Amino acid sequence: MKPTFEERKAVRRQSPTAGATFDATDVSIIRELRANGRANNQQIAERLGLTATTVSTRIRRMEDANQLRVVAVSDFSAHGFNVLLRISVSIDGRPASDVAHELAALPEVVAAHLVTGGYDIDMLVALHDFDDLAGFLLDKLSGVHGIRTLSPAIVVDIIKYQFDVAPIEGKA
Amino acid sequence: MALPQLDPLDTQLVDMLARDARVSNRRMAAELGVTEGTVRGRIKRLQQDGLIAFTAITGFQLERRDRLAFINVQAEVDRVREIAGVIADIPSVNAVLITMGQFNITAMCLIDDLDSLVELASDNILAIKGVHHVETSIAVKTIKYNARMAKITKPKVILEDD
Repeated sequence: MKPTFEERKAVRRQSPTAGATFDATDVSIIRELRANGRANNQQIAERLGLTATTVSTRIRRMEDANQLRVVAVSDFSAHGFNVLLRISVSIDGRPASDVAHELAALPEVVAAHLVTGGYDIDMLVALHDFDDLAGFLLDKLSGVHGIRTLSPAIVVDIIKYQFDVAPIEGKA
Repeated sequence: MALPQLDPLDTQLVDMLARDARVSNRRMAAELGVTEGTVRGRIKRLQQDGLIAFTAITGFQLERRDRLAFINVQAEVDRVREIAGVIADIPSVNAVLITMGQFNITAMCLIDDLDSLVELASDNILAIKGVHHVETSIAVKTIKYNARMAKITKPKVILEDD
Protein backbone atom coordinates (compact mmCIF):
# COMPACT_ATOMS: atom_id res chain seq x y z
CA MET A 1 0.00 0.00 0.00
CA LYS A 2 1.51 3.32 -1.05
CA PRO A 3 1.87 6.06 1.56
CA THR A 4 -1.04 8.50 1.50
CA PHE A 5 -0.69 12.21 1.07
CA GLU A 6 -1.18 12.73 4.81
CA GLU A 7 1.61 10.30 5.53
CA ARG A 8 4.03 12.06 3.22
CA LYS A 9 3.00 15.35 4.79
CA ALA A 10 3.65 13.93 8.25
CA VAL A 11 7.12 12.99 7.16
CA ARG A 12 7.86 16.47 5.85
CA ARG A 13 6.75 17.89 9.20
CA GLN A 14 9.59 16.32 11.10
CA SER A 15 11.49 18.67 13.25
CA PRO A 16 15.03 19.21 11.96
CA THR A 17 16.24 18.84 15.54
CA ALA A 18 14.67 15.40 15.85
CA GLY A 19 17.02 12.72 17.06
CA ALA A 20 15.75 10.19 14.56
CA THR A 21 14.02 10.55 11.24
CA PHE A 22 10.93 8.71 10.12
CA ASP A 23 10.00 8.06 6.55
CA ALA A 24 6.84 7.04 4.72
CA THR A 25 7.54 3.36 5.39
CA ASP A 26 7.57 4.02 9.14
CA VAL A 27 4.32 5.90 8.89
CA SER A 28 2.65 3.12 6.91
CA ILE A 29 3.80 0.57 9.51
CA ILE A 30 2.22 2.73 12.23
CA ARG A 31 -1.01 2.81 10.24
CA GLU A 32 -1.05 -1.00 10.15
CA LEU A 33 -0.32 -1.20 13.87
CA ARG A 34 -3.16 1.23 14.66
CA ALA A 35 -5.53 -1.05 12.76
CA ASN A 36 -4.24 -4.17 14.51
CA GLY A 37 -1.56 -3.79 17.15
CA ARG A 38 -1.24 -7.56 17.48
CA ALA A 39 -0.51 -8.23 13.80
CA ASN A 40 2.82 -10.03 13.57
CA ASN A 41 5.74 -8.72 11.52
CA GLN A 42 5.05 -11.16 8.70
CA GLN A 43 1.41 -10.04 8.35
CA ILE A 44 2.42 -6.38 8.28
CA ALA A 45 5.22 -7.12 5.81
CA GLU A 46 2.84 -8.87 3.43
CA ARG A 47 0.34 -6.01 3.51
CA LEU A 48 3.00 -3.40 2.78
CA GLY A 49 5.20 -5.37 0.39
CA LEU A 50 8.16 -5.33 2.77
CA THR A 51 10.19 -8.07 4.44
CA ALA A 52 9.44 -9.13 8.01
CA THR A 53 12.99 -8.13 8.96
CA THR A 54 12.43 -4.59 7.72
CA VAL A 55 9.19 -4.33 9.68
CA SER A 56 10.85 -5.64 12.82
CA THR A 57 13.84 -3.29 12.46
CA ARG A 58 11.66 -0.26 11.80
CA ILE A 59 9.40 -0.94 14.79
CA ARG A 60 12.36 -1.44 17.10
CA ARG A 61 14.01 1.74 15.86
CA MET A 62 10.91 3.84 16.52
CA GLU A 63 10.48 2.23 19.94
CA ASP A 64 14.10 2.91 20.82
CA ALA A 65 13.64 6.55 19.82
CA ASN A 66 10.66 6.71 22.25
CA GLN A 67 8.36 7.58 19.37
CA LEU A 68 6.28 4.43 19.29
CA ARG A 69 4.66 2.07 21.75
CA VAL A 70 2.26 -0.64 20.71
CA VAL A 71 0.23 -1.24 23.82
CA ALA A 72 -2.95 -2.62 25.26
CA VAL A 73 -5.08 0.20 26.56
CA SER A 74 -7.42 -0.88 29.32
CA ASP A 75 -10.75 0.61 30.22
CA PHE A 76 -11.18 2.54 33.47
CA SER A 77 -13.84 0.00 34.45
CA ALA A 78 -11.42 -2.89 33.98
CA HIS A 79 -9.55 -1.48 36.96
CA GLY A 80 -12.77 -1.05 38.93
CA PHE A 81 -12.86 2.72 38.47
CA ASN A 82 -16.52 3.54 38.10
CA VAL A 83 -16.47 7.19 39.11
CA LEU A 84 -14.51 9.75 37.11
CA LEU A 85 -14.21 13.36 38.15
CA ARG A 86 -12.65 16.22 36.37
CA ILE A 87 -11.43 18.70 38.97
CA SER A 88 -10.22 22.18 38.13
CA VAL A 89 -7.98 23.62 40.82
CA SER A 90 -6.93 27.17 41.48
CA ILE A 91 -3.97 27.70 43.73
CA ASP A 92 -2.75 30.40 46.04
CA GLY A 93 0.54 31.09 47.74
CA ARG A 94 2.47 28.18 46.28
CA PRO A 95 3.92 27.45 42.82
CA ALA A 96 1.35 25.67 40.67
CA SER A 97 3.82 23.02 39.58
CA ASP A 98 4.57 22.11 43.22
CA VAL A 99 0.88 21.66 43.93
CA ALA A 100 0.41 19.71 40.68
CA HIS A 101 3.27 17.34 41.50
CA GLU A 102 1.84 16.68 44.94
CA LEU A 103 -1.60 16.03 43.47
CA ALA A 104 -0.12 13.80 40.74
CA ALA A 105 1.45 11.64 43.44
CA LEU A 106 -2.03 10.63 44.65
CA PRO A 107 -2.97 7.30 43.04
CA GLU A 108 -6.55 8.49 42.44
CA VAL A 109 -5.26 11.29 40.19
CA VAL A 110 -4.86 9.67 36.78
CA ALA A 111 -3.97 12.85 34.88
CA ALA A 112 -2.80 16.30 35.93
CA HIS A 113 -1.97 19.27 33.73
CA LEU A 114 -0.94 22.86 34.35
CA VAL A 115 -3.39 24.92 32.31
CA THR A 116 -4.12 28.42 31.11
CA GLY A 117 -7.47 30.05 31.78
CA GLY A 118 -9.56 30.50 34.90
CA TYR A 119 -7.88 27.68 36.81
CA ASP A 120 -4.28 26.61 37.29
CA ILE A 121 -4.48 22.82 37.33
CA ASP A 122 -6.80 20.44 35.57
CA MET A 123 -6.94 16.88 36.77
CA LEU A 124 -8.81 13.67 36.13
CA VAL A 125 -9.60 11.62 39.19
CA ALA A 126 -10.73 7.98 39.14
CA LEU A 127 -12.48 6.43 42.13
CA HIS A 128 -13.93 2.99 42.65
CA ASP A 129 -17.29 4.37 43.77
CA PHE A 130 -18.94 7.38 45.38
CA ASP A 131 -18.15 6.08 48.87
CA ASP A 132 -14.52 6.93 48.15
CA LEU A 133 -15.34 10.56 47.40
CA ALA A 134 -15.46 11.85 50.98
CA GLY A 135 -12.12 10.26 51.86
CA PHE A 136 -10.48 11.62 48.76
CA LEU A 137 -11.80 15.16 49.12
CA LEU A 138 -11.62 15.50 52.89
CA ASP A 139 -8.58 13.46 53.82
CA LYS A 140 -6.34 13.60 50.78
CA LEU A 141 -6.99 16.86 48.88
CA SER A 142 -7.36 18.89 52.05
CA GLY A 143 -3.85 17.81 53.02
CA VAL A 144 -2.37 19.47 49.93
CA HIS A 145 -1.30 23.02 50.70
CA GLY A 146 -1.83 25.87 48.30
CA ILE A 147 -5.25 24.86 46.96
CA ARG A 148 -7.57 27.85 46.91
CA THR A 149 -10.64 26.44 45.19
CA LEU A 150 -11.72 23.15 43.66
CA SER A 151 -14.27 23.01 40.90
CA PRO A 152 -15.31 19.41 40.39
CA ALA A 153 -17.36 18.04 37.54
CA ILE A 154 -18.71 14.51 37.61
CA VAL A 155 -18.13 12.67 34.35
CA VAL A 156 -21.52 11.15 33.59
CA ASP A 157 -20.70 9.74 30.17
CA ILE A 158 -17.77 9.49 27.80
CA ILE A 159 -18.81 9.86 24.19
CA LYS A 160 -15.35 9.72 22.65
CA TYR A 161 -11.88 9.03 24.00
CA GLN A 162 -9.21 8.57 21.39
CA PHE A 163 -5.68 9.54 22.17
CA ASP A 164 -3.13 7.86 19.97
CA VAL A 165 -0.55 10.59 20.35
CA ALA A 166 0.96 10.98 23.80
CA PRO A 167 4.17 11.78 25.60
CA ILE A 168 6.19 8.55 25.65
CA GLU A 169 8.38 7.85 28.60
CA GLY A 170 11.59 5.89 28.18
CA LYS A 171 11.52 2.16 28.76
CA ALA A 172 12.35 1.32 32.36
CA MET B 1 -19.38 -1.87 45.67
CA ALA B 2 -18.21 -2.37 42.14
CA LEU B 3 -15.56 -4.99 41.73
CA PRO B 4 -12.73 -4.94 39.24
CA GLN B 5 -13.63 -7.01 36.24
CA LEU B 6 -10.19 -8.60 35.90
CA ASP B 7 -9.10 -11.71 37.74
CA PRO B 8 -5.42 -12.14 38.68
CA LEU B 9 -4.50 -13.88 35.41
CA ASP B 10 -6.28 -11.18 33.37
CA THR B 11 -4.39 -8.54 35.33
CA GLN B 12 -1.05 -10.19 34.57
CA LEU B 13 -1.92 -10.44 30.87
CA VAL B 14 -3.08 -6.81 30.72
CA ASP B 15 0.10 -5.67 32.48
CA MET B 16 2.29 -7.52 29.98
CA LEU B 17 0.30 -6.27 27.00
CA ALA B 18 0.29 -2.70 28.36
CA ARG B 19 4.08 -2.73 28.28
CA ASP B 20 4.31 -4.23 24.82
CA ALA B 21 1.29 -5.49 22.94
CA ARG B 22 3.50 -7.28 20.42
CA VAL B 23 4.62 -9.99 22.82
CA SER B 24 3.64 -13.40 21.43
CA ASN B 25 0.97 -15.61 22.97
CA ARG B 26 3.63 -18.29 23.31
CA ARG B 27 5.87 -16.09 25.42
CA MET B 28 3.04 -14.90 27.63
CA ALA B 29 1.90 -18.49 28.11
CA ALA B 30 5.41 -19.57 29.07
CA GLU B 31 5.90 -16.69 31.50
CA LEU B 32 2.54 -17.16 33.17
CA GLY B 33 2.57 -20.95 33.19
CA VAL B 34 -0.64 -21.41 31.20
CA THR B 35 -1.39 -22.75 27.72
CA GLU B 36 -1.32 -20.62 24.58
CA GLY B 37 -5.00 -21.45 24.13
CA THR B 38 -5.78 -19.90 27.51
CA VAL B 39 -3.85 -16.74 26.61
CA ARG B 40 -5.62 -16.49 23.25
CA GLY B 41 -9.04 -17.05 24.80
CA ARG B 42 -8.48 -14.52 27.57
CA ILE B 43 -7.30 -11.81 25.18
CA LYS B 44 -10.25 -12.40 22.92
CA ARG B 45 -12.70 -12.15 25.84
CA LEU B 46 -11.06 -8.98 27.20
CA GLN B 47 -11.40 -7.38 23.78
CA GLN B 48 -14.97 -8.54 23.30
CA ASP B 49 -15.97 -7.16 26.70
CA GLY B 50 -14.45 -3.79 25.79
CA LEU B 51 -11.98 -3.97 28.65
CA ILE B 52 -8.87 -3.68 26.50
CA ALA B 53 -8.03 -2.46 23.02
CA PHE B 54 -4.74 -2.47 21.17
CA THR B 55 -3.29 0.63 19.69
CA ALA B 56 -0.09 2.22 18.51
CA ILE B 57 0.77 5.33 20.49
CA THR B 58 3.15 7.68 18.74
CA GLY B 59 5.30 10.36 20.29
CA PHE B 60 5.12 14.02 19.39
CA GLN B 61 8.09 13.83 17.04
CA LEU B 62 5.88 12.13 14.46
CA GLU B 63 3.15 14.72 14.76
CA ARG B 64 3.07 18.38 15.30
CA ARG B 65 -0.16 18.39 17.28
CA ASP B 66 1.49 18.29 20.65
CA ARG B 67 -0.62 20.58 22.84
CA LEU B 68 -3.58 19.32 24.78
CA ALA B 69 -6.44 21.78 24.96
CA PHE B 70 -9.73 21.65 26.82
CA ILE B 71 -12.86 23.18 25.41
CA ASN B 72 -15.47 23.57 28.14
CA VAL B 73 -18.97 23.85 26.77
CA GLN B 74 -22.26 25.01 28.22
CA ALA B 75 -24.92 23.37 26.13
CA GLU B 76 -28.67 23.31 26.35
CA VAL B 77 -29.47 20.80 29.08
CA ASP B 78 -32.12 18.80 27.25
CA ARG B 79 -29.90 18.36 24.20
CA VAL B 80 -26.58 17.56 25.85
CA ARG B 81 -26.19 14.06 24.47
CA GLU B 82 -27.08 15.10 20.93
CA ILE B 83 -24.68 18.07 21.03
CA ALA B 84 -21.91 15.94 22.53
CA GLY B 85 -22.40 13.54 19.61
CA VAL B 86 -22.05 16.37 17.10
CA ILE B 87 -18.82 17.51 18.79
CA ALA B 88 -17.50 13.94 18.88
CA ASP B 89 -18.00 13.73 15.11
CA ILE B 90 -15.43 16.49 14.57
CA PRO B 91 -12.31 14.51 13.58
CA SER B 92 -9.81 16.74 15.38
CA VAL B 93 -11.60 16.29 18.71
CA ASN B 94 -9.95 13.49 20.68
CA ALA B 95 -12.31 13.17 23.61
CA VAL B 96 -15.79 14.26 24.61
CA LEU B 97 -17.05 13.94 28.17
CA ILE B 98 -20.53 14.74 29.41
CA THR B 99 -20.14 16.24 32.86
CA MET B 100 -22.23 17.59 35.69
CA GLY B 101 -20.70 20.80 36.91
CA GLN B 102 -20.18 24.34 35.72
CA PHE B 103 -20.02 23.02 32.16
CA ASN B 104 -21.90 20.07 30.81
CA ILE B 105 -19.57 19.01 28.01
CA THR B 106 -15.78 18.89 27.94
CA ALA B 107 -14.04 18.38 24.63
CA MET B 108 -10.33 17.62 24.55
CA CYS B 109 -8.13 17.98 21.53
CA LEU B 110 -4.51 18.03 20.49
CA ILE B 111 -3.60 21.19 18.64
CA ASP B 112 -0.57 22.49 16.81
CA ASP B 113 -1.29 26.20 17.11
CA LEU B 114 -3.75 28.68 18.59
CA ASP B 115 -5.48 29.25 15.26
CA SER B 116 -6.64 25.66 15.14
CA LEU B 117 -8.04 25.95 18.67
CA VAL B 118 -9.90 29.16 17.85
CA GLU B 119 -11.27 27.57 14.71
CA LEU B 120 -12.44 24.50 16.62
CA ALA B 121 -13.88 26.31 19.64
CA SER B 122 -15.40 29.41 18.06
CA ASP B 123 -16.08 28.49 14.47
CA ASN B 124 -17.10 24.86 14.92
CA ILE B 125 -18.34 24.18 18.44
CA LEU B 126 -19.87 27.54 19.37
CA ALA B 127 -21.73 27.48 16.06
CA ILE B 128 -23.58 24.28 16.98
CA LYS B 129 -27.24 24.97 17.74
CA GLY B 130 -27.84 24.72 21.49
CA VAL B 131 -24.28 25.61 22.50
CA HIS B 132 -24.47 28.73 24.65
CA HIS B 133 -20.91 29.30 25.76
CA VAL B 134 -17.42 27.87 25.35
CA GLU B 135 -14.24 28.43 27.31
CA THR B 136 -10.85 27.12 26.32
CA SER B 137 -7.84 26.24 28.35
CA ILE B 138 -4.51 24.88 27.20
CA ALA B 139 -2.33 22.42 29.06
CA VAL B 140 1.01 24.17 29.27
CA LYS B 141 2.64 21.29 31.10
CA THR B 142 1.52 17.74 31.69
CA ILE B 143 2.52 16.49 35.12
CA LYS B 144 0.86 13.09 34.94
CA TYR B 145 -0.77 11.21 32.13
CA ASN B 146 -1.33 7.52 31.62
CA ALA B 147 -1.98 6.67 27.98
CA ARG B 148 -2.56 3.05 28.90
CA MET B 149 -5.80 3.67 30.73
CA ALA B 150 -8.71 5.15 28.85
CA LYS B 151 -12.34 4.78 28.05
CA ILE B 152 -12.78 2.21 25.31
CA THR B 153 -15.71 3.64 23.45
CA LYS B 154 -15.91 1.63 20.28
CA PRO B 155 -15.48 -2.06 19.71
CA LYS B 156 -12.19 -2.72 17.99
CA VAL B 157 -11.72 -5.47 15.46
CA ILE B 158 -11.51 -8.77 17.28
CA LEU B 159 -8.31 -10.60 16.49
CA GLU B 160 -8.18 -13.68 14.38
CA ASP B 161 -6.50 -16.60 16.05
CA ASP B 162 -2.75 -16.45 15.64
